[in-house]
Amino acid sequence: MNEFSVIGKRIAMVDAAGKTTGAGKYTDDLSVPGMLVGKILHSPYPHARIKRIATSRAAKLDGVVAVVTGKDARNPYGILPVGHDEHALALDKVRYVGDNVACVAAVSETIAEKALELIDVEYELLPGYFDPEESMKAQTDLIHDNKPHNIEKDYHHVFGDPDKALAEADCVMEGRFIANEVTHAAMEPHSTLAAFEIDSQTGKPGRLTVWSSTQVPYYLQHKLSLVLEMPMAQIRVIKPLVGGGFGGKSEVIPLEIIAAIAARAARAPVKITYTREEVFWAHRGRPRTIIDLKTGVKKDGTITAVKARVVQDGGGYCSYGVVTILYSGALLGALYDIPNIGYDGYRVLTNKPACGAMRGHGTVNVRFAFESQLDEIALKLNLDPAEIRRRNLLKPPCVTVNNLRVQSYGLPECIEQVVERSKWRERKGKLSRGRGLGIACSHYVSGAANSIIRSDMPHSTVNIKIDRDGGVVVYTGTSEIGQGSDTMTAQVAAEVLGCSLGRVKIVAADTDLTPIDIGSYSSRVTFMAGNATLRAAEEVKKQIALAAARKMDCAPEELVFRDDLIVRGDDFGKGFAGEGARATQSEASVSGHVEGQILRGSLQQKRKDEGPKDQMTFEEAVVAAIDSHGALTGTGSYAPPLEARGGKHKGAGVGPSPAYSYSAQVAEVTVDEETGEVTVHKVWAAHDCGRALNPVSVEGQIIGSVWMGMGQALTEEMVWKDGMLMNPGMLEYRSPSSVESPEVEPIIVESIDPEGPFGAKECSEGSLAATIPAISNAIYDAVGIRLHECPFTPERVLAALRALKKSKHINLTEGVDPAAPTRFREHGGALCFRGKGPERHALDPGRREATVEAGGDD
Amino acid sequence: MSLPEFKLLRPRTVDEATGYLAKYASNVRVLAGGTDLIPSMRQKLFEPRYVLDIRHIPELKGILRRIEAGVEIGALTTLTAVERSDFLRQHYPVLTEAARTVASPLLRNMGTIGGNICLDTRCLWYNQSLTWRKGCGFCIKKDGDLCHVAPGGSKCWAVFSGDTPPALLCLNAEIEIASPAGRRRVPLREFYTGLGDEYRKLNPNELLTRVFLPESSADYIGIYRKLRVRGSIDYPLAGVAVVLKRSNGHVADAQLAITAVNPAPLLVKGVLRLLEGRPIDESAAEAVGDLAARTAKPLTTSALTPEYRREMIRVFTKRAVLAAATN
Repeated sequence: MNEFSVIGKRIAMVDAAGKTTGAGKYTDDLSVPGMLVGKILHSPYPHARIKRIATSRAAKLDGVVAVVTGKDARNPYGILPVGHDEHALALDKVRYVGDNVACVAAVSETIAEKALELIDVEYELLPGYFDPEESMKAQTDLIHDNKPHNIEKDYHHVFGDPDKALAEADCVMEGRFIANEVTHAAMEPHSTLAAFEIDSQTGKPGRLTVWSSTQVPYYLQHKLSLVLEMPMAQIRVIKPLVGGGFGGKSEVIPLEIIAAIAARAARAPVKITYTREEVFWAHRGRPRTIIDLKTGVKKDGTITAVKARVVQDGGGYCSYGVVTILYSGALLGALYDIPNIGYDGYRVLTNKPACGAMRGHGTVNVRFAFESQLDEIALKLNLDPAEIRRRNLLKPPCVTVNNLRVQSYGLPECIEQVVERSKWRERKGKLSRGRGLGIACSHYVSGAANSIIRSDMPHSTVNIKIDRDGGVVVYTGTSEIGQGSDTMTAQVAAEVLGCSLGRVKIVAADTDLTPIDIGSYSSRVTFMAGNATLRAAEEVKKQIALAAARKMDCAPEELVFRDDLIVRGDDFGKGFAGEGARATQSEASVSGHVEGQILRGSLQQKRKDEGPKDQMTFEEAVVAAIDSHGALTGTGSYAPPLEARGGKHKGAGVGPSPAYSYSAQVAEVTVDEETGEVTVHKVWAAHDCGRALNPVSVEGQIIGSVWMGMGQALTEEMVWKDGMLMNPGMLEYRSPSSVESPEVEPIIVESIDPEGPFGAKECSEGSLAATIPAISNAIYDAVGIRLHECPFTPERVLAALRALKKSKHINLTEGVDPAAPTRFREHGGALCFRGKGPERHALDPGRREATVEAGGDD
Repeated sequence: MSLPEFKLLRPRTVDEATGYLAKYASNVRVLAGGTDLIPSMRQKLFEPRYVLDIRHIPELKGILRRIEAGVEIGALTTLTAVERSDFLRQHYPVLTEAARTVASPLLRNMGTIGGNICLDTRCLWYNQSLTWRKGCGFCIKKDGDLCHVAPGGSKCWAVFSGDTPPALLCLNAEIEIASPAGRRRVPLREFYTGLGDEYRKLNPNELLTRVFLPESSADYIGIYRKLRVRGSIDYPLAGVAVVLKRSNGHVADAQLAITAVNPAPLLVKGVLRLLEGRPIDESAAEAVGDLAARTAKPLTTSALTPEYRREMIRVFTKRAVLAAATN
């Protein structure tokens, strides 16, 4: 017999039917009577002061109900307490092309769009900053007045003595890596519907209900309260179905607040749904990153020290930036045993949409650099790339030099599995020219041990209520965003209570009904909300056990709950062995269903007749418990243990987690040496998720991570020209299509974490980071080029191939060498030149260059 | 993004359609599959007062074989229908290959051959929302007076990005154009102007109705090769169509056309001279590739660098010629 009856089973997501039949409702599907459409006016300038906004012409247009601007809500906000630098609608300055200036609420989208054309805004142009290394030199016209040199935050960490260790190393490798900007590209664009109730006493807008596509309903409620100056109790946030988040909905996005401001002014419900272009402007994706990396090793391949200087092109606002730049440094640790770490991280402001959290938050680009450099070292030392990774494993339980506590550690088995299944030993370096294998590893947190809101509040709380007929309702603040949190919650509750999954109903992410959970991000839900659910279920179970034990004439501790039955421990084998038990179970549930209320009487009658019972059905026990102490409810919460919360240095709060997931991958690619096109044929991806609560869900997450990583590795890139995003749509921003999606073989490794619910850890982010270097390393194996810049577009690959062969050099990448990049590449063409083009400040980079380059070739 | 307001016209005959065109002249856009027009209208690239929906004109649909006179394809024939036609695959394979690479299966179910021929030229600085274009100061093709691609120039370089026209050029296709004055038939190669803005020779009162493939172009070996970043969805970033006929192992006739690297799809001149009467080898194919690359003038209208795209015209041409030779 299995250890578990619900956990570990391959089950369909509990919300799958609604999504596949179309019955499920996303925010944009919702409509309430009298609802207006909101449309936002965006800045056409990357950096400008707002002198004046005249809205009267727009307001007079027939069908327009309200026009709101920054003055209608002056309080700043931001997802981090240290980064309250955003206004939902700009108050005095715009900081990127697409920044939010005004909003019109009108009876139709067409009228709202027309009204936007009637809003007159007078700007005073300021020079823009588009390259982070340039931006760091800024003396004047700062993006935010309180951020000198446009540096949002810089950290300088030294653990151990990296300089000494590098000096003593046998081999030191140094290089610059560049990762270009990518975005989440979730299928569902952001959408928010905000509606005020009129207060019966005052006749003014009173309680606010907001339906929004969010990963963080509680934070949204909090920021709405801050900006609208309303008590949180007056605000109800409901999260309908969400079509993917990946971090893009893990903070408060301007439209969520703008909809509420507009609804308050219009005294009518307002819905705003972003166009795809607006999603790109709202963005909060992975920043362009420059990584200068230095790694020292001994002759045998053991790492002595790592030094990294990381510059992130963060865009116009802080967003999660401070956390991102800290993750980039902190998670140099906890994958391998690195005794000395030096880290200099710079989060830099530029006049572009804000970057924020995206799947693999902060770790992905640095991991690309690190795993690529590790392969360069292995080559130099003539070591097998899998072997050099094995030689640097941690020895858990341990605490890393930067104070990260590692307990469960499935990395050795992950490496073993992918080496085995890909036939690495037989095939690595021995494939035909143009075909290669590459390996890389990665890891990620199972939730942050320190929450961004700096409070002692538990990170997750879950309530459970059980009805008289044995229906279990779980109230959880977690946001199901397609990742399976509702399913996980139902499984954990059902397993603990020993009831069938069908009994469990999930009520989630509705701030009026569900207790506080800080949200679905940083891969925290299974670990933290899972533990909270487990504890809530155990609390209810204790009450049921007490009542059942009385009826069964035994101690509550003796009882075993399983498959809708409660039996004494010594009857364990008997109760579950044969078909008899199953028949009892189904009879009970059928009669309960058919006879409804009569059931209670008949069951009590039966009990009287039969004396002490040797087993009870779940329903019987629930009825007994409710009869003896009224409502059957339980609550459970989770806060990470103190031991897991990291060190004391500045910035130590980011990186620590109660548990880390681990991944190893092997990618097999071919490279067309004439075109530079890279084809990924197969990826073997092993992921240590502690325990797979629902293996099919875990496999889906692994495949999705690999696929998303492949997008960043090969095709996805936000292309910029002087602050203009050249590809703000799904046609030109190229997420892979099904045609080039490789076969992914997901391999689940279970290290059974001592603190995870049933031993589970995260499974949705950790695998992404390994894919990019695995592909890069495979490209090297195939054709001998070492790419230091991703994505590995065909032009970059071909340029590197041409450079390697030293034959027929043509400048295929506009002055940027993908094997040794120095700076970010802008899109070709010219935005600004003499006398024509968009209005820009005379010191704007486009203008400055224009005075030199004007004239053109045609 | 909303669609601009317009009045929908639904003619049932070609005469009715050209009547509308004449009546509303410059204030009307023709909708066939809608896959190009509708997104562009949302971006406010077109805000016509009337949209002429020709999808209900039966005579414009279907592939009709004419005895001894080739084949006639109605302008409304979907790209899926072209792709799946056994007759075309057997006798005009280059067209089948090209049709198969257009966009994605869903878009091919909607998109038509006529629409692919008339496809508006594209540019990263042009195919953007009104807000975006306002941010960059507009461009010469729409609402502005300069080109961002060729700074200082007064010519529009928006690139023609259809996949089937280079194949049709290789097949010496002709097109039928209807107007209230009647119907005229012109070689496809005379249809494009080579300008990015006024890219085709079609008067406001005219409608593309049919495509003719001559009997003399039948049964050529045909290959189409397309550079794209993704295996589906993408417009070509460079495209090469080649047809050739062999006799006794030597090339008897050959045509080659390129797309997505100029404001028009272009037949490459002088290809036959390089190949005629010879067996095709690597060096011959490379010579043709060099010739095609010289004809290409890619600019920063699209993703990937112009230098790379020109280089790919060379490589893809060489490969297409070699593939045709070994077919």
